[in-house]
Amino acid sequence: MTILAVLIGTLIFAVLAPILGCLLAGLDRKISARMQGRVGPPLLQPYYDVRKLIEKDDVAVNGTERVYIICALVFTLIAGGIFVSGGNLLMCIFVLTLGALFFILAAYCTSSPYAQVGASRETLQVMSYEPMVLFMAVAFFMAVQAILGMGSFDVRAVLYLDVPVITNIWLVFLGFLFVLTIKLRKSPFDLSYSHHAHQEIVKGVTTEMSGKTLAMVEVMHWCENVLFMLWVALFFVWGNPASIILALVVVAVVYFFEIWIDNNFARVKWQTMLTSAWVVALVAGGINIAFLAYL
Amino acid sequence: MATLGMLWFLILFPLVVAVVLLAVRNNQARNVIVVASAIVIGLASLFLVAANLGVDYWKPIPMASPLVVDIICMVLGVAIAAVILYFGIKYKNTLACVLAAVQVVGSLVFELMFAHNVEVTECLYLDSLSLLMAFIIGIVGSGICVYALGYMEDFQAHQPEGAKDRRPVFFALMFVFLSAMFVIIFSNNMMWMFTGWEVTTVCSFLLIGYTRTEESLNNAFRQIVMNLIGGIAFLVALYVMAIEMGTLSLLEFLQLGIMYPEMVALPACALALAGITKAAQMPFHTWLLGAMVAPTPTSALLHSSTMVKAGVFLLIKLAPIFYLSQIPSVMVILVGGITFVLCSFMAISQSNAKRVLAYSTIANLGLIVACAGVGTPEAVWAACFLILFHAIAKSLLFLCVGTAEHHIGSRDIEDMDQLFQRMPKLARFMMLGIMVMFIAPFGMLIAKWATLVSFVEMRQVALIVMLAFGSAATFFFWGKWLGKLSAIAAEPDNVELSVHKSEWGSLLLMVVLAILSCACLPLISQAVVDPYIQSVYGTRAADIQFTNQLLAALLAIVVIIVLFAGVGKQNKSKQAQVYLAGYSANNEQRVFKNSLSGTTEATMRNWYLEGIFGETRIRPVGEWVCGIIIAAAIIISAFGTSVIF
Repeated sequence: MTILAVLIGTLIFAVLAPILGCLLAGLDRKISARMQGRVGPPLLQPYYDVRKLIEKDDVAVNGTERVYIICALVFTLIAGGIFVSGGNLLMCIFVLTLGALFFILAAYCTSSPYAQVGASRETLQVMSYEPMVLFMAVAFFMAVQAILGMGSFDVRAVLYLDVPVITNIWLVFLGFLFVLTIKLRKSPFDLSYSHHAHQEIVKGVTTEMSGKTLAMVEVMHWCENVLFMLWVALFFVWGNPASIILALVVVAVVYFFEIWIDNNFARVKWQTMLTSAWVVALVAGGINIAFLAYL
Repeated sequence: MATLGMLWFLILFPLVVAVVLLAVRNNQARNVIVVASAIVIGLASLFLVAANLGVDYWKPIPMASPLVVDIICMVLGVAIAAVILYFGIKYKNTLACVLAAVQVVGSLVFELMFAHNVEVTECLYLDSLSLLMAFIIGIVGSGICVYALGYMEDFQAHQPEGAKDRRPVFFALMFVFLSAMFVIIFSNNMMWMFTGWEVTTVCSFLLIGYTRTEESLNNAFRQIVMNLIGGIAFLVALYVMAIEMGTLSLLEFLQLGIMYPEMVALPACALALAGITKAAQMPFHTWLLGAMVAPTPTSALLHSSTMVKAGVFLLIKLAPIFYLSQIPSVMVILVGGITFVLCSFMAISQSNAKRVLAYSTIANLGLIVACAGVGTPEAVWAACFLILFHAIAKSLLFLCVGTAEHHIGSRDIEDMDQLFQRMPKLARFMMLGIMVMFIAPFGMLIAKWATLVSFVEMRQVALIVMLAFGSAATFFFWGKWLGKLSAIAAEPDNVELSVHKSEWGSLLLMVVLAILSCACLPLISQAVVDPYIQSVYGTRAADIQFTNQLLAALLAIVVIIVLFAGVGKQNKSKQAQVYLAGYSANNEQRVFKNSLSGTTEATMRNWYLEGIFGETRIRPVGEWVCGIIIAAAIIISAFGTSVIF
């Protein structure tokens, strides 16, 4: 029955995540603008942008790029569906990584120098955040085990908890916040594809993408952001329905914090990103997991 | 009785073929013989698997060791030493000669003085792990033999004028290899297993040194020295088993080990060392890297279905002992884990495709070794799947690289630009192989997932950390290779039309196996791997729920369909030019006008991150740490047992 649940979850996610993600992106631009002393675009500007992209002519370097992007979008939605249906957190992470791989391939397949620079950097970003993301899942399992007596990777396990997992794995949460900046493509870790025009080599991964293809990339990005915020919320939800409000508040704070970082730091070199992300993962993930395992 | 006949057939038939091939010098005749016998071996192993599918107990085959087999074992031992001594003296390698002499004296003394007191009543056996291995050896191994036909023809053509045609020996050795592997996986009598073990060592020595160039001889000797160390460790284990435990039966050894884990620490460590050398773990990993100088089918055979798999096979067999006996377990876990993470790192800094594959092999074997060291049912479940998927995906990749090398003239990944168009079918096969190796929802990652879960359940924090970082590195080096392959630009000539039929045949076989194994993962788990776990532990492993396996299999099918039917099609959209930042001279070729009004081609090179992941930085660390761990474990276990007795 899990397969059916995942299918239904995917449908729900595919409807809701773009809407929420679009609003989140609009809010992001609004708040960023205020931080920079501008008025900023209307809240629905991201939606207008995508609508305009969809209306554009089909122009592409080759037909393969679009296929890869469709795959990337679909697998992102499935990853969301696995999460929403309360499924396995590791499976959710792996399927999302598959989506990331297709996104990278879409850039590589164009043979465009600028897109390939972006693709290489995107691959490097995946390598940078992957250990911490895996540690997050492992820590989740162990925290559930510590609270419930029986470990589980299933997202739905939080509904049976007396206290949220954050009580056991706050160190992992801090480490996760660090790599979240990479996953959200926020400065200083927006090496592959930036929303800030001033620090970009042309347009990184999406250099050769246009029209509907680019629209799909935008939608995928919204869905990803929503999924990451769901991961954040996972730390704070327990058996009490009121915890959802707490989780929403935390998500709002975390996203605001990310916007603040985005606007206050310049892009770093890849060496800094890789080593800092790995050191953070090793310290935050390693220590916390060791604590859970041995104490 | 029927099973006994099948086992003997699988062991003896390749030997007969080898003898015949040694005599045949005609290409046409050889092609026919190799293809026919590969089909026979493949069908026979399939039949064996089908006839015993789901066997969830250790199926012994009552048969005392016939005297003639004992004599053959002894003669083979002497012959192996003679071969090594002959080459050692001819090419002045003292170390190899000394080790070979030690080994032959040791094994002769053992057989004449100790082995006769120990009677093994069930010399052969069968369980589901043997079946899995038989499937891999019989299908993948003989598939590689068929591939070698076309490859070696091209290889011979590329050799300098007047080079000696040693192909009869080459093919004979390949089949002897298969036979020796069957001996290893079916022998309950450890003496027999040891003989098979040494035969694989010497066969790979001869195959690596095939071209007799200086480089290949050096690497062949490195291989033989390292594996002789492993062989001597195996012999030490045999001595301890015969003298202190009074048995040479693998089953009895395992049973005694489970009852008295302390007592078997030394033989378990010694056998583990033998397995580690054969599975090319640090600090012995350099022999497998050196083995690349051999023709590609040799690499494929060594990496996927034989040789290194013998090492991990032995370690998985010993897993129940590792589960209980701490010293060998810690040694195996640490060596495997460290090898996994460091070799994954080093793979990033390599641009030679075969070297990337070699590092990836060593890393994955490290993971299997670590799983065996953990020794829980769940970890062994994961290890079995790692073996299966690795064998299939790696042979597919090696065969692809071999064929690409003969048609684009390079095995460097940087030269594989736009292979997607130059060799459309081959590039897709290669992409499939790469995906099976590292990305969900394909088999290898499902196995890694199970590995992670089993590590988490056993609270192996060090292993969790190593797995996380190693997997991240894995994503990077496969991802960038995949990117190279997938690039599409101007329409270059299709150069794959001249690929031999036999090569296509084997490649297709591997592709079909890869697809089937990913799509049928839940079934394989039910029919083969679970029964093995049942036979050893009496329980089933349930780390990855059946529904998640099913979901993974479904997603895998989707990706495969996209890869073979979705991408690469022309679409109706308007063709755009690639952005070259300014004035492009020939956009199709990615050539632009530079600032001196000349033209420059825009090219992209992959990232190798030499400063962080370079071999010179990482290799010494791994070799020293693993070397010290192994030495310490063996000293402690030897000291410990002497105190107890």
